[in-house]
Amino acid sequence: MSGRNEELLEYLDKSGAELFALLTRLTLRQDVAEELMQELFIKLSRSSGPDHKAGTWDAYARKAAINLAFDWRRRKRTPLQQLEQVPEPVSKDGSPLGGLIRCEELQETLDAIGRLKKASREALIRRYIQQESYEHIAEQMGATPHQVRAICSRAVNHLRVTLGSNHRQST
Amino acid sequence: MSELDENQIHDRLKRLSQIEPSQDAAERAVQRVRETISLPWATTRGRPYGLLPMMAKLAAAAVILIAAGVVAGRLSAPQVDTEQLRAELEASLKSSLEPAIRQSVLDEADRRWQSVFAAGCAELKDELAQQVRRDLTQFAAQSLTASGVQTQRQLRELIQLIEAARIQDRRNVEAALEHIESQFGNGLVTLAAHTNELQGPEQNH
Repeated sequence: MSGRNEELLEYLDKSGAELFALLTRLTLRQDVAEELMQELFIKLSRSSGPDHKAGTWDAYARKAAINLAFDWRRRKRTPLQQLEQVPEPVSKDGSPLGGLIRCEELQETLDAIGRLKKASREALIRRYIQQESYEHIAEQMGATPHQVRAICSRAVNHLRVTLGSNHRQST
Repeated sequence: MSELDENQIHDRLKRLSQIEPSQDAAERAVQRVRETISLPWATTRGRPYGLLPMMAKLAAAAVILIAAGVVAGRLSAPQVDTEQLRAELEASLKSSLEPAIRQSVLDEADRRWQSVFAAGCAELKDELAQQVRRDLTQFAAQSLTASGVQTQRQLRELIQLIEAARIQDRRNVEAALEHIESQFGNGLVTLAAHTNELQGPEQNH
C-alpha cells in the first residue's frame, strides 16, 4: 500500500466519524452519507490537491464533503407536495405531521444554505452546524476570525431573507 | 421584504447541528471506506474502469513483439521460412495474449455490472424514500380531513340536542302558564266582581 493510502487511512481513523456526521447533517440521510463517504475518500485518494499535511488535508476534505453533499442535494431535488396544501393541524407537537413539518423546515434551511456562495456556505456550516470556533475556521480558510464573523453574519442575514420569503409564500 | 426571525434561523441550525448518526452506521461507513481504499483500482488516478488503456497496452506489447519478430526474421538466415515464423509468432502471441484479454474483459464486465447495480440500489432507495414521504403526507392530510368531518358532525348533533332541549323547555313553560291560568283565572274574575260591588255604593253617592 502506498504512503498516500496509509496517510488516508490514518486520516480516516482520526476524522472519519466526524466527516460522516457532517454528511449526515447535510443530507439528513445515513445511507446517502455512507455513499458520499466512499465518494469523498476515493476523490481524496485520487486528487493531486493540497500537500496533505494535517491541516490542509482536513480543510480540503471538509470542503470536498460539503460540496459533495450539496451536489447530491441538487441532483435529487424533486417536486414534493407543498405543505400549504395540507390543512393546518390543531397541535403540531409530537404528531407525525409535526415531525414532517420540522423535517421539511430542515430541508428548506439546507436548500437555502445550498444557494449561498461557496465560501459563505462553508463558513456557516462549520460555525453553526459543526460548531467550530471562528479562529479554527479562519485558520483553515486562510482568513482572519473577524472576516469569518462577517461572512457568517452576512450568510445568516441571507438565510433570513430567503427563508422569510418562503415562509410568506407558504402562509 | 419579509424576513424570518434570526432566532428561528439559529434554532434550525442548532437542530441540524444536533443530528448525530448512529454509532453502527458510522462504523460501517468507515469500514466500507477502509475496504475501498485498499482496492488498487479505487485509488488509481484517471479513469478507474477504463478498458481502452489496458487494451492499448496489450496492443502495444503485441506490436512490439511482432516488430521484434519481423526484425529477428529479417536479420536471421534467409533459409528461415517467413510464413512458418509468422504462424508460430501468431500462435505464440495468441496463446499468451488471449487469456489475458479474456480475463481483463471479464473483470471489466464484472466491475461495470457492480457499479450499475450499486447505482440502481441508490436510485431505488431514493424513490422508496420519496414514495414513503408522499404516502405519509397524503395520510396526514386524509386524517385531518376525516377528523374535521367528524368534528362537524358532532357539532351538528350538539346543536340539534340544544335546540330540542330549548323547545321542550318552552313547552313546559307554556303548560305551567296554562295551569296557572286554569287554577286562578275564575278566582280573579270573582275578585274583580266583588271589587266592583264594593266600589259601587261609593260611586253612587
